[in-house]
Amino acid sequence: MAYYLVIFAAGFAGSLHCIGMCGGFACALGHDQRGGGATVLRHLLYNTGRLTTYCFLGGLAGALGQVICTTQGLTAAPLLNGSLDIAQRMLAIVAGLLMIAMALQFFGLLQVFHRLAIGFGRSTFAVSLRSLLTARSSAAPLAFGVFNGFLPCPLVYAFAAQAASTAGALPGFLVMASFGLGTFPAMLMMGGVGRILGPAWRLRGVRLAGGFILLLGLITLGRGLLPSGAHIGLAWLGGHPA
Amino acid sequence: MTAHGNILCSHCSLPVGRRPMERRLNGEACAFCCYGCCIAFQVKSGRHEEWDAAWLLIQLGVGGFLSMNIMMFSLLLYSDAFTGVDAGVLPWIHLLLWIFATPAVVILGGPYLREMWLNGIQGRVTSSALIVLGVAAAYLYSAFAVFEGSTHVYFDTAVMVLMLFTVGRYLEAVGRARAARDLEPLLAAESESATVVDGASEFRRPVREVSAGMLVRVRPGERIPVDGVVVEGESNTDEAVITGESRQVTKGAGSKVIAGSINVDGPLLIQSSGDGTATRWAQICRSVRDALSRRSPTQRLADRVVGVSVPLVFALAGLTIVYWAQSLPFDRALLIGLSVLVVACPCAVGLAAPMATSLGIGRLARHGCLVRDPGVLETLARVRLLAFDKTGTLTAGKARLVGVDCEEVGIDDVLARAAGLERLSEHGLAQAIVAAAAARGIRPLATRDVRTVPGRGIRGSAEGRSVAAGSSSLMNDLGWPLPPALAEPARSREANGHSVVYVGWGERVHAVLSLDDSPLPEAQATITALRERGLNVTLLTGDLAPAAERIAAMVGIKTVQAGLSPEAKRLALDRLRHDHGSVAMVGDGLNDGPVLAAADVGIAVGSATDLARETAALVLPADGLWMLPWIVDVARAVRRTILTNLMWAFGYNLVALTFAAFGLLQPILAAAVMAGSSILVVVNSLRLERLPDPVPSLIPEKRSSAAAESARHGVGVSMLIGPGIERS
Repeated sequence: MAYYLVIFAAGFAGSLHCIGMCGGFACALGHDQRGGGATVLRHLLYNTGRLTTYCFLGGLAGALGQVICTTQGLTAAPLLNGSLDIAQRMLAIVAGLLMIAMALQFFGLLQVFHRLAIGFGRSTFAVSLRSLLTARSSAAPLAFGVFNGFLPCPLVYAFAAQAASTAGALPGFLVMASFGLGTFPAMLMMGGVGRILGPAWRLRGVRLAGGFILLLGLITLGRGLLPSGAHIGLAWLGGHPA
Repeated sequence: MTAHGNILCSHCSLPVGRRPMERRLNGEACAFCCYGCCIAFQVKSGRHEEWDAAWLLIQLGVGGFLSMNIMMFSLLLYSDAFTGVDAGVLPWIHLLLWIFATPAVVILGGPYLREMWLNGIQGRVTSSALIVLGVAAAYLYSAFAVFEGSTHVYFDTAVMVLMLFTVGRYLEAVGRARAARDLEPLLAAESESATVVDGASEFRRPVREVSAGMLVRVRPGERIPVDGVVVEGESNTDEAVITGESRQVTKGAGSKVIAGSINVDGPLLIQSSGDGTATRWAQICRSVRDALSRRSPTQRLADRVVGVSVPLVFALAGLTIVYWAQSLPFDRALLIGLSVLVVACPCAVGLAAPMATSLGIGRLARHGCLVRDPGVLETLARVRLLAFDKTGTLTAGKARLVGVDCEEVGIDDVLARAAGLERLSEHGLAQAIVAAAAARGIRPLATRDVRTVPGRGIRGSAEGRSVAAGSSSLMNDLGWPLPPALAEPARSREANGHSVVYVGWGERVHAVLSLDDSPLPEAQATITALRERGLNVTLLTGDLAPAAERIAAMVGIKTVQAGLSPEAKRLALDRLRHDHGSVAMVGDGLNDGPVLAAADVGIAVGSATDLARETAALVLPADGLWMLPWIVDVARAVRRTILTNLMWAFGYNLVALTFAAFGLLQPILAAAVMAGSSILVVVNSLRLERLPDPVPSLIPEKRSSAAAESARHGVGVSMLIGPGIERS
């Protein structure tokens, strides 16, 4: 449980980062003329769309991890009993390294991914999404949220990597769900209340999120590298569901 | 046969086919060749914040939301997340899936159903029918299962197949639009509008409403919409679309500008010199549009295969289900049949030829070469023999002075007198003599009482003595004797196929000028490059054999057939075709129209002015002979791409079909495999974008415009001064 709480917290802190990109969208979603209730509904729909995409990605990544581990296990099982473990370890190492790389750019290092995201953000697809913001249909925020979830974001990548390393559809789903729920409060606030946090606070939030991701990345990496008995991180977090 | 004959897709500029998808977007009527282009176009135009485009995105978004939820629940079901929970929950989850799946199937499957219906009422079965039938079977079976309380539901399969096909078509359409990029400036002529200046006011008008004499303002970066003359302003223009030469030409007040060229850096006010629809640009636009909307033989074959394969696949899927139903539960058999339906969708086959062809056409168009028939590239790639016309194709088509034989007088003397007479004549040979004198810096002698003797020459008087220039019969008429020292060279020059002009004064002939058409500077390098590509080259000409053989030897052509009438050229071409298979004929498009039309590929170089009356299938810009080897390269690359596309599409389909029929491919995977195959065909075609540009180094010396001018119209000084020409 503590594991998902950490991810929830990372999502919460990270959502301060989201304000840069997704928050802009959320603000643009704005107020509904039909009153406060309609406005809240709009933002709920948007965030539900986003959450669905995250959960889907998480489930998919988890299932993918599962497939990788099982096929590896199936082919090598007669020869080496511990091979399932090896595949899982490899996955954990790759995911851990990815997360660490993502975390570093939250501290202003390793800007490659960031530029990638910015480049895509200006693509035709992203630009045309804006037309959804002004559309009158009440389903538009939902559709917008769904597409928004697919826009590249280092946070999403990092947690998708984490989800894949769990090697199971359900835990993968839960990882992304916790992360998505973590981003809920700030994004809802963004839409409804507007920007109440100053830039200094946002920077602190970004650093904090980076710290969480770095921590998770190190734990994941450790899961791949350390011998089975020495799972410090997991012990601390109350055990890993996988 | 159909009103949609030459409508091109608003998104990818490929022909829309018999049943386009028509939409009104932002007040404009749009036609699309496929659902993917429809989505991609609306995504592209979505930035205008218009409702029309957003509606489709909302549908797709909601569809995505529903299907992702279905997928997630199904994933959790498959991974046994609910095994621990009370089994009584399961039917409720299935009911929830049904509630999600119903709108998702309606939203995502609607366009396919519509396409199937529209084609169906015309008695055609298309690939969308495969998708609709497969998805409907999965959905209906699962819906019955939910109400019967069975545990086997396949809503995830139904919606994911739709989702993957939709995403695949979208990505495919995005790739296809890149094929149209090179063609855009050529297709723009008809939709372009011009800023017409009327007194103090300016307003935008469609180009077709612009007529001669109107003033048009063109801002920097805009395309010049009409032919005309600059009235005001100064700028550089890029005329690459029309002339194929990508260099900037400086224009000031009084300069002529061509429609279709880009005004690079300064505002221009232009007085239109003709109707907006009469420009070469508009002609090119119509011609390209025409070419794109036709289907090449390969394409027709592919279409026929697609038409036949759909019913076959239905039959195969039916057989598969019947076969597997004997050994497996019915729902498993149904899923295997569904895989067969989905994986056999022949979308990639239909896409193999048109995209590669339009990329090739666009590529050539960027350098000013027009393809008037999409099949021509494939034919040209197969051609083993190129027949050239001589005059105007391999040669400049204009006479130039190549030799002067004179007796007891200086060459300057001769030219001064000849030019004094000939500058008053319009005759082609006369102009060549004047140009030659000018090139040597000789002032024509003032000549009075000049009159032409029709068919013979010209005479007058200078420095108090009568002067004449013309044929030997003119000299005979005048009774002026030809000195024996001149008679011999004159005869030999004539025997070589030169045109000979006698110049005389003071009651006798003093000199013999010989004129000839000479090969273009790039001709030899072009012929060599064509030979390197394994092509045979031959010369078919109406000229006399000696002249033809001399030119052939100079450019490196070994087989020559001379003295042919246009009819004889056609016969010669037929004989060559008999020996070599397909034959291409290269001519200037003016005198040899029927021959160009009779060849498998008619290639016109340059001078043709009226595209509508052009009989050649491939039109090169003026001075474009040097591009010929490159064009052959492009044609071969296009053909290679089409063949690999077809091989890939068929091979992939067959392998995947086999796997599916043996039950080794899940329907969702099958849909992904299918979408991937179309995208691979697009990506393979897009490799054509990486073909190198033509290399102008084939031209022996880098020609400045002045040098090119003299090479075409007159005589280089060096030719006259060079040894062996002056024989006094």
